[in-house]
Amino acid sequence: MGKTLQYAYYPGCASQAITKEANATTRKVAKILGLKLHDMPKANCCGAGLLTDYDYDLSIALNARIFAQAEEMGMDIMTICSTCLMVMSTANRDLKNDPKLLEKTNEVLSSVGIRYNGTIKVKQLLWILAEDYGLDKLKTKVVKSLKNLKVAPFYGCHSLRPADALGFDDPEKPWSLEALIEALGAEAVEYHGKTKCCGFQVDLVAEGTALEMAGKRLLDAKGEGGRCMVTPCPFCHINLDNYQGISEKKLNQKIDMPVFHLAQLVGLALGMTAEELELSRHLVSTKDILKEANLLA
Amino acid sequence: MKIKIKISRCDPLGRTGCKPFLQAYDIEAREGMTVLDALHLVKDEQDGTLAFRRSCRSAICGSCAVNLNGFPKLACKTQLIPEYKKKGAIIIEPLFNYRVIKDLVVDFNPFWDKINKIEPWLNQKNNPPLPQGDRFQICPQKEGMEGLSSEKKWQRVDKQAVLKIGNSSKCIMCGCCNAACNTLEIDKHFVAPAALAKAWRFVGDERELQRQKRLVRLSGGHGMWDCVRCVHCTEYCPKDVAPLQAIERLRAEAIKEGIIDNDGARHVESMVDSIKRVGRLDEAAMTFKTLGFLRSLGMIPFGLKMEMHGKMPMPLIFPQIEKIEEVKKIYEEIEKRKAVSRNREP
Repeated sequence: MGKTLQYAYYPGCASQAITKEANATTRKVAKILGLKLHDMPKANCCGAGLLTDYDYDLSIALNARIFAQAEEMGMDIMTICSTCLMVMSTANRDLKNDPKLLEKTNEVLSSVGIRYNGTIKVKQLLWILAEDYGLDKLKTKVVKSLKNLKVAPFYGCHSLRPADALGFDDPEKPWSLEALIEALGAEAVEYHGKTKCCGFQVDLVAEGTALEMAGKRLLDAKGEGGRCMVTPCPFCHINLDNYQGISEKKLNQKIDMPVFHLAQLVGLALGMTAEELELSRHLVSTKDILKEANLLA
Repeated sequence: MKIKIKISRCDPLGRTGCKPFLQAYDIEAREGMTVLDALHLVKDEQDGTLAFRRSCRSAICGSCAVNLNGFPKLACKTQLIPEYKKKGAIIIEPLFNYRVIKDLVVDFNPFWDKINKIEPWLNQKNNPPLPQGDRFQICPQKEGMEGLSSEKKWQRVDKQAVLKIGNSSKCIMCGCCNAACNTLEIDKHFVAPAALAKAWRFVGDERELQRQKRLVRLSGGHGMWDCVRCVHCTEYCPKDVAPLQAIERLRAEAIKEGIIDNDGARHVESMVDSIKRVGRLDEAAMTFKTLGFLRSLGMIPFGLKMEMHGKMPMPLIFPQIEKIEEVKKIYEEIEKRKAVSRNREP
């Protein structure tokens, strides 16, 4: 038995509000698996990329404030949001690669008595399960194999790119999500667009583009036989699930593809019930697919 | 080693018609061979009808970009054997997001139209004409400017100003970024990353006189705010131009110049306000601030549907983070520093 895995837990803004089922399920799954998640009540929003559009230095300083807290806790950060992962990893890369930037940022942070030394890493739940925890170990915890489920893995763009900042999976030949799906006993479906964008960033700016993009990803997955989708990112979930109905109208085509948060799919295999997974919060019902795969308790 | 490579074939005007199909060729791959070498080998020894663009073979001309195993690459800059070992296959297709003319040759006219639309030149209307044979452009060193006449000084740019433009002037127009662009995949009118990187090269140039006009135009429909930030352009640029960074800088510059009467800028400003106020994203306030009162009303039916699933954002009960005063202080500090550097500017 190795030592307990501990993380500074950064769920991200979306999972504390609109997709709070992702946060709740992650906490339950972590408890079952024995991952220790430590809250960061002081942590601010990473800016979701919008702060970089406003002021790069401000974005870096606010991200460094998050890292400094994790550093003080003596832990790496675990997030369950791919956009947080991308934004924080990019900021962390810049701070680690550029001592002058780190120094300049620490001057700003010193006004509130904080310092970041550039020692922490930012990870997401997917990587932690695939590497720190290990899929072989995860397999031993599966009590309800998802063997009848054909799952389309949707990485989205921010869990893979920019590769030089994230440094985990290969954006051109990713493996972690498929391997996780298979470890849970389900079948991973291969389709075009699994590493592409869901369109979330322009939901309020170019709604038509966002809806069409989300619909295209879902239809591509469906076309290759996917019966449901799983994503490690709450923003992808918002577009693929919440907006699926409007997307159907825009494309004038029925989609009907249930979308799981990563933690929900894991929780399902760990024997958690639909209530515990808060599946009723989804706009696209998961009932039929769970019945079809004999996964309803 | 023997490798089977598959090449997308399509000849809209000829015998095979316009439905692309993959044709397989067995070739003898040598160590160090590039994908472009392989294309030449096929054309020279097996099939003279294969069409592809190429010129310099040195990742300078930007002619030979293709989609290799699904991702845009310069054929001349990618080695065949490592790619084959990594992916287990070699599938060469024309660039995505472009119309195919024949085999791997695509129609670049829409690409050039987008570049032309951003006016890829420096607007220096009021400059005095330069003497013949003495046309400085960007000079990375400030040294030696003392003895120059004012006309010549005008033409010279110091190192800091060049760094501001970043790599955006290094584009070789290969079109890889546009082929990878997720927005362009959906919206063919999108200005797209190549032209946006080029736009920053001029907006960020301190000699440019039409900065405001350019930014207003770029803030319109199908413009820079339609980018979904998928990072593909930066990931697949073979010359590290980093178009996404150029887009971020254009956006920041537009907000700084007060060009904020559009959804994109309002979206950013609502986020900036929200973090300053509560330390995180306030979804309801963001929707309201970005779309305004009337268009937010239009969201009510959808909001009610979300509410049935407990998903309606609740602004009134949104808690702020602990130690929000630290965040506010950081905003102030950054503002203070910006004011100091503004005062330093001539």
